[in-house]
Amino acid sequence: MVRWSHWLNVPILLGLILSGISIYWASPIYQHQPDPNTGNVDVASDLGIWICAHVPGQHHYSSPPDWIYNHMSLGPGMLALALRLHWLCAYLFMLNGILYVAGLVTGGGWRSLLPRRTDLCDALRMLRYYLGFPFAKLARRQWLHPRFNTKYNALQRAAYFSVPVAGFLSVATGWAIHKPMQLQWLAALFGGYNAARVWHFWLMWIYILFVVPHVILVFADGWDTLRSMIVGWSTRAERSEVVANEP
Amino acid sequence: MNHKEKDDDSLQPKDTPSTDIGPKQEMAELPEAGPEDVKPSVPMDIEKREAVEAIEQQGDAGWSPSLSVDHEPRRDEAASSVAVKSVSVKKPHNFFGERPLPAIAIAPRVLRYQSRRDFLVFGAGALAATTGAGFLLPQDTLSRLGMHRNMDSPGKEWFLNKALRIDDDVAEALYSGTRRVPTYTKSQITSLKNNYNGATPDPGYISGWTLTLDGLASGLSISLDIQNLLTRFPVHEQITRLVCVEGWSGIAWWAGLRFDDLLRAYPPMSQARWALVESSVNLDSSGKPDPYFVSLDLATARHPQTLLATHFNGQPLTVDHGAPLRLLVPVKLGLKNVKAVTRITYVAEEPRDYWADRGYSRYDGI
Repeated sequence: MVRWSHWLNVPILLGLILSGISIYWASPIYQHQPDPNTGNVDVASDLGIWICAHVPGQHHYSSPPDWIYNHMSLGPGMLALALRLHWLCAYLFMLNGILYVAGLVTGGGWRSLLPRRTDLCDALRMLRYYLGFPFAKLARRQWLHPRFNTKYNALQRAAYFSVPVAGFLSVATGWAIHKPMQLQWLAALFGGYNAARVWHFWLMWIYILFVVPHVILVFADGWDTLRSMIVGWSTRAERSEVVANEP
Repeated sequence: MNHKEKDDDSLQPKDTPSTDIGPKQEMAELPEAGPEDVKPSVPMDIEKREAVEAIEQQGDAGWSPSLSVDHEPRRDEAASSVAVKSVSVKKPHNFFGERPLPAIAIAPRVLRYQSRRDFLVFGAGALAATTGAGFLLPQDTLSRLGMHRNMDSPGKEWFLNKALRIDDDVAEALYSGTRRVPTYTKSQITSLKNNYNGATPDPGYISGWTLTLDGLASGLSISLDIQNLLTRFPVHEQITRLVCVEGWSGIAWWAGLRFDDLLRAYPPMSQARWALVESSVNLDSSGKPDPYFVSLDLATARHPQTLLATHFNGQPLTVDHGAPLRLLVPVKLGLKNVKAVTRITYVAEEPRDYWADRGYSRYDGI
């Protein structure tokens, strides 16, 4: 169940993010005084203009202010469609979240995700390992992976615990923005309607910042890990198993 | 994930067996524990030979226990004894403590079958997601991705509208006729932009403006001018937030008569459930007449904070904000807040809506 909902998240989150940025286009959170030359107020459009001016190969892009929206969303100027897709994906995301939590509870997998008291130090050790890894590889030095006798290391636990929490907060802030009058207590919880929009926007970045290293590390970790994410079994004997043989 | 790569390498080739080898050859040898592996209490040597074990990922309790039982007889004798050993797990310390992963011995044939099935399902899912994206994504997006064939279909509209109706039903269920929207103080008032969806009308219409009511219980068509409305009904004030479908919002100080008071003074016909609120002065972006009309359910029209506003921030409404009278319905998105209302018609069936025709929601309750 957890595996299923994990993979269902791929198309659902992609749909939510792409349609979400299309919705953002209609009324960007980050605006400034109109630019005297272009009349532009949107920081995302500034970024697009900058990219077209400075990135090789983009000089002849037809509408620089739309660069970000054309590359990171469904596109500008399609609010109605983006909203409908966003609601569709959002309901699927909530159903999927229920499936995920139900799977964690019935399978007992939630225990592997709970942060522990020693996690801060261990997570920093893992971070040091990851940061040092490319340099050690270049220098052909040995770079030992910190050892853990749990299913996930501390950094993984922190990440895998945070993402469902972010999912919950995304849904909560989403409802706060969607129904700021009927669910006014929810909007108030996040500091009001406008603040809830900011929350909702930055929560999206948690998924993006999570997914990039997540995908890189899964591939770096090898076929066994990727396969276990699909079929649910692994050939790796865990330390805990070995410990278990001792009376 | 907490093993070094040399562990993976030694196990890798053996856990993807070809179909013709027997169970004996499925035996995988665990590597010798490296010096850094050895904890004083963990002698590794008893684990030297072990059956291929699929370590069940937690959370898939559905099929794991039944499998290990069902296929028990197929297992190699030696393997089974080891497997039993490794299943006997350390007693967990507390409720929150992580449980060791169950090691499940399983016949290679069954494992291959299971894995093949899972990969096929995974591939089918990926294919379905891609097809779904091609079916649901806007044509502009597909064109940018290099798909120039027209993928718009009535099915897509039908499906997306279906999802939208679910959301509308949720919004309607959330609505409460007694729940007031938050009100603010004068210091919290923000600017409110003129968001006429086309050109702002020429103020010439104001002098001859009347509000026409149709679909009344009396069967008559009533026309009221602004003096009539302002003198006959008590004025209510509120400082509320107007939220646009685009995402921006503005807090303003509004005053006007309650829609509910108008409904009491001129009751609609008994079977009416909806109001069609129209403005005939609305223009499109090139300045041509483009009458604006929205549907409003009567339950929302009766909400005590639903006003027919005549004043904005203490002054009579300006043309920008829909002089001389606009609908102010803070429990709906801004697009329902019709400026310069010229006609209200009570009807039994849900009437058409300017923005619903353009792919937006019909109910728009917030």
